[in-house]
Amino acid sequence: MIKVRKSIHPSAADTWESIAARELAATPLDEGVASLQSWNLHVFSRAPAAAGSPRAGNPILPSDLVFLEPPLSAQ
Amino acid sequence: MDIVIRNGSIVDGSGRPAYIGDIGISAGRINQVGQVRAQGATEIDATGKTVSPGFIDPHTHFDAQLLWDGAAKPAIEHGVTTIVPGNCSLSLAPLKAADRMKLVGMFNQIEEMPLVAFEQGVTWNWETFDEFVGRIQQDLTINVAPLVGHSVLRLWVMGQAATERTATATETAEMQSLLRQCLDAGAIGLSTSFVDMDEKLQPVPSRYADHAELDALCAVLAEYNRILQVVHEFYDIDLTIGRIDQLAELSLTHKITTTLSPLFINRGDFEGVDRVIARIVEQNAAGARVWPQVQTRPIDISFCFAVPSLLFIRLRGWYRVMRFGTPATIMAAFQDETQRQQLVQEATSMMPLWSTLILRQVQTEANQQYVGKTLAEIAELRGTDALNAMIDLSLEESLDAHFISADMGHNDDDKVGSMLRHPHVMIGASDGGAHILSFSTYGDTGYLLGHFVRDKQLLSMEEAIKKITSDTADIWAIPDRGLLKSGYIADITIFDANTIDRGPEYYVQDVPGDGHRYVRDAIGVETVIIGGAVAYDHLQGYSDEHRGQVIGAPQR
Repeated sequence: MIKVRKSIHPSAADTWESIAARELAATPLDEGVASLQSWNLHVFSRAPAAAGSPRAGNPILPSDLVFLEPPLSAQ
Repeated sequence: MDIVIRNGSIVDGSGRPAYIGDIGISAGRINQVGQVRAQGATEIDATGKTVSPGFIDPHTHFDAQLLWDGAAKPAIEHGVTTIVPGNCSLSLAPLKAADRMKLVGMFNQIEEMPLVAFEQGVTWNWETFDEFVGRIQQDLTINVAPLVGHSVLRLWVMGQAATERTATATETAEMQSLLRQCLDAGAIGLSTSFVDMDEKLQPVPSRYADHAELDALCAVLAEYNRILQVVHEFYDIDLTIGRIDQLAELSLTHKITTTLSPLFINRGDFEGVDRVIARIVEQNAAGARVWPQVQTRPIDISFCFAVPSLLFIRLRGWYRVMRFGTPATIMAAFQDETQRQQLVQEATSMMPLWSTLILRQVQTEANQQYVGKTLAEIAELRGTDALNAMIDLSLEESLDAHFISADMGHNDDDKVGSMLRHPHVMIGASDGGAHILSFSTYGDTGYLLGHFVRDKQLLSMEEAIKKITSDTADIWAIPDRGLLKSGYIADITIFDANTIDRGPEYYVQDVPGDGHRYVRDAIGVETVIIGGAVAYDHLQGYSDEHRGQVIGAPQR
């Protein structure tokens, strides 16, 4: 079996913070959020939903794949 | 017999070796294969030619074109007899009247179909999928196996909220019901997108769906044994593998077939491509059905500044000027010293790319001397740099200077060839009918049979034909097509294996509203039969027969 990066499908209400708290529970929250963002540039570099939207300020989309570990080449 | 094709080299789509024989056709179907004694009302001498099933193109965006051109020109000329439109979450039905302009905007942004083509080429007289099928069936020459788009299902059920949030349980149930209606009306499956942006550069509706919503829709596909198509984050190997795993889970849970497109094979990342294929093989060995689509042609992009180009999508300043500007405001942006400096600054880091662009077409006599030269060569002649030469030429030509970036990847013959023949790869992803102002999406099958089969000998003719006929029909659950077999529908392509190819790309004005597109003529395709009648002949042109069907649609 080839090695595959661990990832999740976010829930509808997920934010960087909620994913870090749930999936990286052993890591301090700020550090977990920073790690998630660095492992998921395809989400982090996206403009967050506009003010007034139900998802205002949150760049994470319900259809995203969110990686929970760095690229394999960096491990 | 209505038609007898005699003495051709029969490549029947099954992969078995070619043999010399005849094919008899009556009542729209293949009646006899081998030696046909009966006389045909029409006799076609195929001596020295190859006779194969009509080609099936599984990834197209001919949705809009079918409303003014039931032949999807020039697809048939290239031997294609069946097309799959509605890919990437976008179909033209079901569509409420209030959402028409939203969808037109998405087609314009994502598939580069000009707005004016919709304004002048489309009479909006449908809302439901069934009504849309009825509309295109009126004048259909090519066969159509349409997907229904996830984004339009969401728009129909959720309205504006489709681009804001996940669906409620009630809304998901409504989407399931709507999907059933579409499948009953002839949809071949469902398409979704994980990457596309709408006309406001916001994610398309399907991207606001969570996995549970997609899972619920796949449960409906399972009821009908229909396929799920996705466009994924094709620019990233790890994301691609993550999507393969997601599709495998959906496939195993619901026992459905899934396909993702495109899979590009670029130098410098062969190891990543090999990981993708290895994961596909693993998942399919476990019982999943996940098919990556690989296109045959190398990637190139042409553009002029009169229309937005994919090439600039990562340069936000440039893209906004092109996407939201008019020709006058784009010219003004280039002429304004401050704005021009900002644009130049933003694009300077990509100077190696600009330097390799080739000037392919201009209008003025004065600049004809530069056509065919790279921007680096032109810049040297003009005493400037490539980026400023591109801007200057565009201003001098009132934005009607055309450039081509000719070497953008997917062009290693050996590696691409090995993928095209791989048993877990589907040949497809042509994007037929889309991106009409960036490149020609026609002729991929000619390129396969001419370049990879004849010239490079990386596939046999039998392998290649099987890949684009019976394999595709099997994967997409298209019945009675893809083989030259008694009882099958008579969709047949006759071509010269010594010459078949795609012709050179050129710019033509044949889109409603005096619009243009890049096209390629076919080379070597002689006769194309659809539904048992000659649809196209290289000497006579198109016939008046309109035997195309919406595959899966009830008889009307």
